[in-house]
Amino acid sequence: MNESSILILIGFVFAVLVIYWISIVISVIYRRNRTKRLQKIEMTFAEIVSGYLYNDPNDPLTLTEINKTLKNVGIKKQNKNNIQFLIGLMIRTQRTILGTNFYKLQKLYSQIPPYRVSINKISSWSWYRKARGIREIYEMNQSQYLDEIFKYRNHRNIYVRREAQIALVVFLGWESLRFLPYLKRNMTLWQQIKIVEKLYDHYPKPELKWLHRAYKTERLFGKKLLMRIIRKYELHAETGYIVDNLNHEDYEVRETAIYCLQTFALSKSKISYVKVLFEDITDPTQQGQLLNYLYHNSEMDLDFYMKQLNNASDDLKLSIAEILWNNGYKEKVQEFYYKQYPAETELNVE
Amino acid sequence: MKKVLVIQEDIIILKILERLTRLNGFDCKAIRSLSALNIEDQQTNFDFIITDILFEGIAPLQFVAQVQEVLLHKNLLIVTNMGQDKIKQEIFNLRGITGFYAVPIDLDEIEAIIQAY
Repeated sequence: MNESSILILIGFVFAVLVIYWISIVISVIYRRNRTKRLQKIEMTFAEIVSGYLYNDPNDPLTLTEINKTLKNVGIKKQNKNNIQFLIGLMIRTQRTILGTNFYKLQKLYSQIPPYRVSINKISSWSWYRKARGIREIYEMNQSQYLDEIFKYRNHRNIYVRREAQIALVVFLGWESLRFLPYLKRNMTLWQQIKIVEKLYDHYPKPELKWLHRAYKTERLFGKKLLMRIIRKYELHAETGYIVDNLNHEDYEVRETAIYCLQTFALSKSKISYVKVLFEDITDPTQQGQLLNYLYHNSEMDLDFYMKQLNNASDDLKLSIAEILWNNGYKEKVQEFYYKQYPAETELNVE
Repeated sequence: MKKVLVIQEDIIILKILERLTRLNGFDCKAIRSLSALNIEDQQTNFDFIITDILFEGIAPLQFVAQVQEVLLHKNLLIVTNMGQDKIKQEIFNLRGITGFYAVPIDLDEIEAIIQAY
């Protein structure tokens, strides 16, 4: 390699380095400006919201002023990133406020940009944008778009239908349970929890009419959802629905029923019904969980435990023996223990 | 004039609370962290301190204890995102707490307390 080619190589490497440095500088400057811009938008939005909620009668804040201020900080149709940031701020703010101010904010949001950004996202091809649009609409409580969203409750994409179903709960409350029997696709545990939480946040007063109608659902996820709702709202009068599902043929439905039952204390008649159902449960682990519940939530029932000690699976026998032993029936356990060995067997005891 | 100190990291809640207290005739100082305080503030006896409990580098209970120790005040209201029952209970165990409001908050309740003062 001669001298000139080495010089060319050094020059090339140096040029690459210079380009690299320049790009770093540009990126740092861009990020700094961008952060400044976002902080400015956040500050302006905070000023607007506080001024709107608590309008000073001596220096009132008008809608024209609000729109002008937003435009000046870069909330324009062509600046999509700024608009998305503003939507994030709007949702965050609405989530933190309740009462009359919540409705005031809702009114403000309908009068400032971005006017139709969220609803336009729904018609997008991308599932991500669709789901995001639906979420923004229900988070900002824009109930006028309910019909648009309603179409997506059985959408093939899990995220889109999840957001659409949550939107139905937010807008319709307990009445949305009406659609439960007609949902075609599965609902994950995460979604069930989200729906229960949303319902509880927005509609803390139960409307049993809709709950009773939804009992007709044959969908497994529907049954699980209803039991979780009963548990969350502590509906003591509805525990019958949970008890009825204790011996369901599906493992997960039984699991949910046992889990939800643990929140409640049952009457004597229901406890004796649970004891009848106990034997129908095929899984020893679930039987064990239910046994634990019965032990802590009902009076000592010697007949029931003795019956289980003789009939239940080996996995459970130890737990049952422990319960009897600790509750003054030592001799019953001993009797059972010796009964397992024929009389002529020499026991290893002194 | 009655004085209020608002400490909130979230600029939107900070501004809303600032505005709310000012319109109710209070002299309000609104800051985003304790480091923005000056010596004068430490000598002022605030009628109300409205503060969050979640700040970087300090545990919530420790923060409340620090505010109670460092700043003179008559009433201490907590407005926070951290509204778990356990936290609420532990905060009230500290004594000297006038109110605990977890997000989502009804600002009318806070306004009523301030107006009743």
